[in-house]
Amino acid sequence: MLSLRRGRWVLLPAALFISTAFSQDKLQLCVSCHGPGGNSVSALIPSIAGQPKLFMENQLVLFREGIRKSPVMTPLMAGVSDKEIVALSEHFSKQPAKVVSSGPADPSLMRKGAQLAKKLRCGVCHLSDFSGQKQMPRLAGQREDYLGSEMLAYRASQRPDTTMTAALYGVKDDEIKALAHFLSRSAPR
Amino acid sequence: MRSLVALAVTAAFTASFAAYGQDKPKPPPAWHQGKGAKMAESKLAPHAGKMTETAVGEIPIDKLKLPRGFKAELWASGLPGGRAMAASEDGKKLYVGTRIIGRVYEVTDEGSKRSVRVLVDKLTQPAGVAMNKGNLYVFAIDKVLRYDNVASNPSAQPVDMTKAFDLPPEQHHNWKYIAFGPDGKLYVPFGSPCNICEPPTKEYGQIRRYNADGSGKEVIATGVRNSVGFDWHPKTKELWFTDHGRDWAGDNGPQDELNRITKTGLNFGFPYCHANGIADPDIKKADACKGVTRPVALMGPHAAAMGIKWYTGKMFPAEYQNTAFIVRKGSWNRTKPMGFDVVNVRVDGEGKASIKPFATGFQQGADGYNFWGRPAYLQQMPDGAMLLSDEQTGAIYRISYAAPKAAKK
Repeated sequence: MLSLRRGRWVLLPAALFISTAFSQDKLQLCVSCHGPGGNSVSALIPSIAGQPKLFMENQLVLFREGIRKSPVMTPLMAGVSDKEIVALSEHFSKQPAKVVSSGPADPSLMRKGAQLAKKLRCGVCHLSDFSGQKQMPRLAGQREDYLGSEMLAYRASQRPDTTMTAALYGVKDDEIKALAHFLSRSAPR
Repeated sequence: MRSLVALAVTAAFTASFAAYGQDKPKPPPAWHQGKGAKMAESKLAPHAGKMTETAVGEIPIDKLKLPRGFKAELWASGLPGGRAMAASEDGKKLYVGTRIIGRVYEVTDEGSKRSVRVLVDKLTQPAGVAMNKGNLYVFAIDKVLRYDNVASNPSAQPVDMTKAFDLPPEQHHNWKYIAFGPDGKLYVPFGSPCNICEPPTKEYGQIRRYNADGSGKEVIATGVRNSVGFDWHPKTKELWFTDHGRDWAGDNGPQDELNRITKTGLNFGFPYCHANGIADPDIKKADACKGVTRPVALMGPHAAAMGIKWYTGKMFPAEYQNTAFIVRKGSWNRTKPMGFDVVNVRVDGEGKASIKPFATGFQQGADGYNFWGRPAYLQQMPDGAMLLSDEQTGAIYRISYAAPKAAKK
């Protein structure tokens, strides 16, 4: 019994080590584009604060492997280990998410976006408050321009996942604009 | 200032719309197709895969339950997404395909331990792997590669054989399981690119076979929804294949199928007729099940019956000889979990099948989803042990048998 207790104390420093299994340089590199604490202030660059850990892990692996195409992210992820990916994902999943879209809400776009989100059942996977879960990202409070461009990329089969391509099948450009407007102004949890 | 930011956002947004252009007309390939009004608020969705390495300490293999005398041990790990396997003849090298992560792994058995390297990466769902006379075949959705004498030549460059195989463009359900049959031909399934639909062209919903060089294409079965596992009966040499049933038609069906190909040209019913003669509720046709070959056995609703292996090794007790092991990766489109196990299937003289659990314990509890692993495929090794791949943990387990010592009197 005593040895078991000792075992726990041995595990504790190991846990601390895992939680910082990335360098400060790497963290600085992330936030230099994705914004302070992972809340983006740059056009078309997503906020990564408060994103589900598994979603972050999967996307970072896909960037590294070149399966999700990005001329920026793929070179940055070259040689980054699974361990670092898990640690960085955990770090950003715990950062508080903020609404980053700064423009005023357009009442008719908000209404249309809310109706579409309901009709397309976005909340079934992304949760009713659009905070995301598991492999599915947080949409609430994400940058409006980024949400729009990503939905377009999915609809055009330019992402390595057919699920969202199917979900956006037949959704029109102006509907995607309304969805992005509405979701970007939904309060993150 | 605010208007400036708004202007920048609008400009970026408009630019991205221009970059992606207009929507191309495309059939909707979808797991959520056929989701009726009754299911509109259902929270069921495919389980998340894991793409990073799982540490050995996070694989609770002691939770696996097997019949008396059988033992499971962790044989290899660090293969995120690893599923179908193909071994070199001596069993020293094992090739493992994946889906989304795009890699094929090579595992080298070094006796007391195994080493893992990535043989090829950046492919579109290279799920299909098969060995033929020392050559490894890799089937991605849009590419076929052959690595000649791969086990002895670690730097073998692939021969691109894509053109010879006439692969259709749709991705959904077109990740492959492939295998060479006793006739020396390569068998390849082409799934239906939807949950439920009339496939957009005739190239889908079928199993084909080819000569090893890709010539001699022949469609041997139609009406197949999504088969990702098959094997030949050791005695009759007939092909038996698993096939996943459709989703969003309720918790209890239509069940996954175990089918037998007694002759070429059989129709297995999709999309009009499922399981033991259930007409589809959405895609309707008069006499939906007329002329449709019924399954030999039903494998459970939404169970995701994957790999099948007829056991011919000498290690397991004689009662397992020429019986089938089938892996059920486990359900998602069902309120309560189903599958997450390996079952043993025995077929009597009249063709009736009985199904018994063999390896269980990946899923904890009967009411909610609480699984740590998702078993996918089996590989019989030269010593008669069976390897079992786990797509969730990216690990491979070795299942062996030793007669239990007689109980003390």
